[in-house]
Amino acid sequence: MPMFLPRFTIDQPSTLGEASRLLREYGEDGCVYAGGTELLLAMKKGGLRYGHLVDIKTVPGLDAVAQQDGAVRIGALATHMALERSSLVRSKLPIFAQVEARVANPRVRASGTLGGNLCFGEPHSDPATLLLCLEPTLRVTGADGSREVPLPVFMVGPYEVALEPGELLESVTVPLLGAHQRAAYRKFQLHEYPMLGLALVLDLDQRGAVTTSARVAIGSVSPTPRRSEAAEALLVGERGAVRGRLDEAANALADDADLLDDHEGSAEYKRHLIGVFLKQAFEEATADTSAASGGRGS
Amino acid sequence: MASNTRKSPSAANGAASQEAVPDELGFRVVHHSVPRKDGPQKVTGRATYTADVHIPRMTYAKVLRSELAHARIVSIDTSAALQRPGVVAVVTGQDLMSLNMRNYGHAVKDHPVLAYDKVRYIGEPVAAVVAEDETTAQEALADIVVEYEELSAVITVEEALAEGAPLVHEQGYDQGVSPGHVDVDTSNKRSNVCQENHVRWGDVDAAFARAARVIKGDYTYPMTFAYPMEPYVSIADYTEEGLTMYSAAQHLYMVRNDVAGVFGLPLNRVRMITPFIGGGYGAKSYTKIEPLTAVCSWKARRPVRLQLTVEESILTTRADDSKVHIETAVDENGKLLARRAMIYLNTGAFAENSPLVSSKTAIRIIGPYLYDAVDITSYAIYTNTCPASSYRGFGISQIGLPAEGQMNELAAMLGEDSLQFRLKNLADSGQRFFPKKRPLTADVKGDIIKATEALGWNDPLPPNRGRGLGVLVTDAGAVPVGRSEVRVYGDGSVTVFSGSTEMGQGSMTVLAQIAAEEFGTSMGNVRVMQSDTALVPFARSTGADRTTTLEGRTVLQACVEAKEQIRVMAADIWEAAPEDIVLEPTGVMSEGRRMGWGEVIGKYFDLSDMEVTGRAHIRQKDEFAELPPWWEPAIAAVEVEVNPDTGKVTVHKLVTVADIGLAINPATSEGQDLGSATMGIGVALGEELVYDGQQLSNGSILDYRIPRFSDVPANSHGILVENQDGIGPYGAKGIGDGPTSVICAAVANGIYQATGVWLHDAPFTPERVWRAIREQRAAQAQG
Amino acid sequence: MNGVAVEQEIEPQESLASFLRERLRLTGTKVSCDVQVCGACTVLVDGLPVSACTYLAYEARDRDVLTVEGLAPSDGELHPLQRAFLEDNAYQCGFCTSGMLLTAKSLLDTNPTATEEEIVEYMDGNLCRCTGYRPIVAAIKRVQGELA
Repeated sequence: MPMFLPRFTIDQPSTLGEASRLLREYGEDGCVYAGGTELLLAMKKGGLRYGHLVDIKTVPGLDAVAQQDGAVRIGALATHMALERSSLVRSKLPIFAQVEARVANPRVRASGTLGGNLCFGEPHSDPATLLLCLEPTLRVTGADGSREVPLPVFMVGPYEVALEPGELLESVTVPLLGAHQRAAYRKFQLHEYPMLGLALVLDLDQRGAVTTSARVAIGSVSPTPRRSEAAEALLVGERGAVRGRLDEAANALADDADLLDDHEGSAEYKRHLIGVFLKQAFEEATADTSAASGGRGS
Repeated sequence: MASNTRKSPSAANGAASQEAVPDELGFRVVHHSVPRKDGPQKVTGRATYTADVHIPRMTYAKVLRSELAHARIVSIDTSAALQRPGVVAVVTGQDLMSLNMRNYGHAVKDHPVLAYDKVRYIGEPVAAVVAEDETTAQEALADIVVEYEELSAVITVEEALAEGAPLVHEQGYDQGVSPGHVDVDTSNKRSNVCQENHVRWGDVDAAFARAARVIKGDYTYPMTFAYPMEPYVSIADYTEEGLTMYSAAQHLYMVRNDVAGVFGLPLNRVRMITPFIGGGYGAKSYTKIEPLTAVCSWKARRPVRLQLTVEESILTTRADDSKVHIETAVDENGKLLARRAMIYLNTGAFAENSPLVSSKTAIRIIGPYLYDAVDITSYAIYTNTCPASSYRGFGISQIGLPAEGQMNELAAMLGEDSLQFRLKNLADSGQRFFPKKRPLTADVKGDIIKATEALGWNDPLPPNRGRGLGVLVTDAGAVPVGRSEVRVYGDGSVTVFSGSTEMGQGSMTVLAQIAAEEFGTSMGNVRVMQSDTALVPFARSTGADRTTTLEGRTVLQACVEAKEQIRVMAADIWEAAPEDIVLEPTGVMSEGRRMGWGEVIGKYFDLSDMEVTGRAHIRQKDEFAELPPWWEPAIAAVEVEVNPDTGKVTVHKLVTVADIGLAINPATSEGQDLGSATMGIGVALGEELVYDGQQLSNGSILDYRIPRFSDVPANSHGILVENQDGIGPYGAKGIGDGPTSVICAAVANGIYQATGVWLHDAPFTPERVWRAIREQRAAQAQG
Repeated sequence: MNGVAVEQEIEPQESLASFLRERLRLTGTKVSCDVQVCGACTVLVDGLPVSACTYLAYEARDRDVLTVEGLAPSDGELHPLQRAFLEDNAYQCGFCTSGMLLTAKSLLDTNPTATEEEIVEYMDGNLCRCTGYRPIVAAIKRVQGELA
């Protein structure tokens, strides 16, 4: 229980290439340093130890947020608070802005970055849970250039992501939701980290009465945030029928989660909560489409 | 505005500018919500706390803690740590051998400064490194090698009391300066019982035999941490001349006594100074890290600061958790006949204040009710867990749910409204409900009527909502011993000298108000010097809500005594008889001549900056002979909502009543009650330390939830009942322990009304509530 | 630093809290939980709140840091939030107060008309063990009333 930061050095690269070189040079003794909210805390608690931090905030432009071909491209260094307050995100991806606005506390949101959050592989990440349903593409840059990685591939396990030595997350490109798509996010929290996060994105037909495709993800209750194909299949169909299958879908979601008994609660209770919040999310996502007019314009 | 039910201090009774106008009771300063004296310092960051004190040549200590719950220490190798550059000294149990005493404890001297023969819990200090900076001290801890021989451990009360259980302490110990209010047997210990207490009167078996109805139940109160925002911190400077310490200690005189005992120093060579304390709530009462800090300085021959983290603070002192079996009997008219209970406290590895805490549970579980007979037994039990000690209202929180939860359940069983049931059975003010103790000093019947009226007790309940009430009393004030001094200067300014500490409760302000009232002067003209054992008078403790009432009385008396000296001086100046000198609000008068207090002093000595000191003390004699000095009610009523899907409980309305006699400062009084109720909400809804095997599994704020902004209802209302019926100054009675203890019971009744389920195990976490509802439904489906 | 340039050589691992408290002896910033949960050590960096306990002093280079010591516009004059905290007794022990003041400032700077619900949600990451929070909400609303 040390609770103090061990000694380390800080490098200030001016390009991603330089950062990548430094990281390869340091190997296991080096780490990317962005907002620091997760990293410094873990180092303080003795869970992680690095002799060298590579501060990529000295690389210009990595915090940019821009619209790009039906998507929003978010630089890895954009902070939670910047995303919460970004007029682009608020207008084009309101559900994402809402989730970002409820991450931890204002201090963590002001320093912590989306990229850091994803790269830390935090199982309790609300943004990661939601993004699983928004299906973003992650741009990863290393010594041999850049590659694009889907989020489920990126998230390997708890506190583990698919970055090769010297690789960094550069940006996250999130497709915008279409006029026929509805999203909802629910979370339940007692302590500092959420007990459960649940994201739902539904593709609806013209009348808004039938789900043509569904994406549902849970976070905090599984080793990494996860989607469930079985649950998603059960969420496709006419609204009334889907409503009748929500318990079944929730169970499928829970089955795929590897629920554990822990300090937050029992696996049994978490399974129950998944059902409660799936129903709530479903009702929210379909709430404004019930009118015969056929849903809203945008 | 949703918070409109709580008056702001300025709106409540006028600020400093209106001090000169007497109110309806004739008070100008007292009984007014004057601004706090510590306010300007605290909102500008100028207020000094212990961690802010810097001493030249100061070094920094860090503590190596046991990783085993119970083990013999075979050896400790400190050689590598000593070689690390920047390390000044390493202290282990071996260093204690040359000291006067290796153990301390105000109740039982069972607490080693550092573990020397064995370790008794995970987290117990085993060694300390003193270094030029904190990082070096921390790094050097890893250089120390400790060899242990592991022993089997007892973590729960059941394990500790099992036949053939390993003993946490094999031997008895000497008593400390304050062993508690009941007999303590510390000799020839052959069990893990730290203390056993009994409260008995009447024939309980006969009463239960003739009862019309009997209710029985088992309850648990969780292991908690008071969580002052300021972690434990001390600074020690041990020199040839003696020991000077700064520490965040509520009871600095008791700490002085413990530390003096360790070194065999006379009291006058130990100087304890307590700057502002960043919250205590009992967690900073009695001695904590001061002996270790002092020994570090003694060994290092340098000033040493020991600053713990919050995680280490939790490992230093928590509150006792409890298991209670309780039975209550009523006659055919629903009148209470008798109550019996067995109370088991998990006290952890050292007694700390748990002997007193356990004795208080036995008294306080009875409540201000009229019983023919009671038979209460309580135990403090040693276990291999971190030591437990005082927590706001010591002993009362542990029994609040069984005592008052069962009262609610009993009323429901009898089909009676829980308010009416209580009104039928509560004692009246002045009635001796507890043999050989002072009669009840509060109007608890009137108080709960006020509480329920403010809550809207009989209003229709929305779905999933319920209301509940709780009322208990504490035998408050601890021991009525204390003294104060008041110095009046030739310019008319006044300084109060008090041993009490300012930990947020507002003692600095209240004591100043009393002096300002007595000398007819302004708050700005009165200064309060506190909590420095070398300079200010003795105060036994700052706790048990005693400062306003008991220290306040001595301040009032010291003012009167100073004025009497001035009367004699004025008589000398005017060549009159002292009895012909009239004491007016701002000075003396005789035959139309007037002088201010300071003017008399200046003229008498012919020295305008001369001074007069008034002194006063109280002891357990005369009007203070009968204990307790006053009974302090804990009263709260709540309206809660239970989410039927998640089990989450939300408190929507809160009413507290402080039967305060007279509020010296109404605004700070209301603040005490809301703060106290909020601590109760914390335990009712979620606070619980959990041992996973031998290891505390959630000893961090990341996993231990204390109440937040969103947990406290906007609709909260504090009522001050001022009957001027207290033993304190102007009829005041202490508050501060407040309604913490009764919140669980009130919330439990609300949950019952909302769901039909009685909960006996706090905290009422969403999962626990959800399970209880589910089990009830399953039982109903079967039945 | 509170409007005055400060030049000091620091260690990379030094926290802003330790830099403020130990080097500059600006001890108004308090450290409690040390894990960026309680908010006692909140200071504003370029107007945004950070937990000085887990924020490197390194990050403050070339930036404006505001601590409680810099909140009042001048000696003898208090910031409206400081006045309101006094009026509403929105403190007791005072250990959380610096962080509360600065967090409230960062809220009102960006959302001066925050509703009570928004105040509670924004402030929810700052812990106080004494007051029961309602006086702090009252103080923030008092300042809003003065600004309106």
